[in-house]
Amino acid sequence: MKFDTSGLESHGQLVGASDGLFNGFPTAPSFEIPNTTDFDCFQKEAIQMVKPAKGTTTLAFIFKEGVMVAADSRASMGGYISSQSVKKIIEINPYMLGTMAGGAADCQFWHRNLGIKCRLHELANKRRISVTGASKLLANILYNYRGMGLSVGTMIAGWDETGPGLYYVDSEGGRLKGMRFSVGSGSPYAYGVLDNGYRYDMSVGEAAELARRSIYHATFRDGASGGVASVYYVGPDGWKKLSGDDVAELHYNYYPVQPSVVEQVMVET
Amino acid sequence: MSIFEYNGSALVAMVGKNCFAIASDRRLGVQLQTIATDFQRIYKIHENLFIGLSGLATDAQTLYQRLVFRHKLYQLREERNMKPETFASLVSAILYEKRFGPYFCQPVIAGLGDDNKPFICTMDSIGAKELAKDFVVAGTASESLYGACEAMFKPDMEAEELFETLSQALLSSVDRDCLSGWGGHVYVV
Repeated sequence: MKFDTSGLESHGQLVGASDGLFNGFPTAPSFEIPNTTDFDCFQKEAIQMVKPAKGTTTLAFIFKEGVMVAADSRASMGGYISSQSVKKIIEINPYMLGTMAGGAADCQFWHRNLGIKCRLHELANKRRISVTGASKLLANILYNYRGMGLSVGTMIAGWDETGPGLYYVDSEGGRLKGMRFSVGSGSPYAYGVLDNGYRYDMSVGEAAELARRSIYHATFRDGASGGVASVYYVGPDGWKKLSGDDVAELHYNYYPVQPSVVEQVMVET
Repeated sequence: MSIFEYNGSALVAMVGKNCFAIASDRRLGVQLQTIATDFQRIYKIHENLFIGLSGLATDAQTLYQRLVFRHKLYQLREERNMKPETFASLVSAILYEKRFGPYFCQPVIAGLGDDNKPFICTMDSIGAKELAKDFVVAGTASESLYGACEAMFKPDMEAEELFETLSQALLSSVDRDCLSGWGGHVYVV
């Protein structure tokens, strides 16, 4: 069976513009195949290497006033915490946000790449790209690299002419439209709080509090999530960062310590 | 993740001037999920002898029960408490009994011997004793703990200062470990 390399060839156009605007800028950057005899195992090892990095909690939901996006800020490598201050909400352009889960390098690179493509679309078509279009661009690129060990679990949230938009896109090539998503190892815990407290007609303040609480509860239970819970709001005028609270401080805010009677045991030495 | 990192733990003991301190974190988890934030890892054997058990929580609890049993028998027969050095040898022997199917624990033993001389030691899971004069560490955060203790330790600290030093070393190390944290228990004798 001959190895099927059709997925590796650069595609002619992904956006639809057929004038020479893309000269000099490759539509799908192509990477060389590794020089190993056992291509299958190389992929498996590459995937295993980035797998632990999906330790994170990110969530996003649409409500009456717009889209709320929130994430923690811990990066972990197995058991070791490599950083407590990672920016997991990536600003693609002033009215669209992407979240990072999975490989940090993968997410940062492809989100920036998406930002470039969105800007080119604006210049070519004299109007902003829709959230539907942007997420489709990203999903198609990731599908080309399917099976090669990219690890990306992202949500594209934004406000376009049709109103608020939220899509989940991952490195397996999946793309889902929805109202509420949570991605990462802490997502089951976040879903529990988010699904319970969600109502479509919340105010911005209530939605922000719900998002913050969901991230806090996920960081409590999940060892791979922690650091700072950042909350962003996407409205008709673009995105705005609402808060960034350390989850340890949130813990003592939500559950203040009751001073209890401490029995002192004096040991004679 | 290995079996030693299944529950997550951080243990450290330090020697001061005629006193010792032993501290542990309080998290119990199942790999990345936190189950409890008030789990006890340090147990009192007698007034001047404490043992902390890191590693797999079920083995730690079982091993503690066996050790308490052996110590109570010793108390009945000898009508006195065990010296820390003797207790360390007892733990080492019990662990080596299970050489080919070990308890997945790393104990940290801290006690005051004759003339209130502090004694600390740690062991690997099959009973290799490591005596130290300054500090011993165990658990998933052990590498961070080594660094923190090495930087903060001074010989002949009094009880107050020893408590502060040990707490700071523990807290800063577990802040770099996903599998341990949620506060600490510190015992100063």
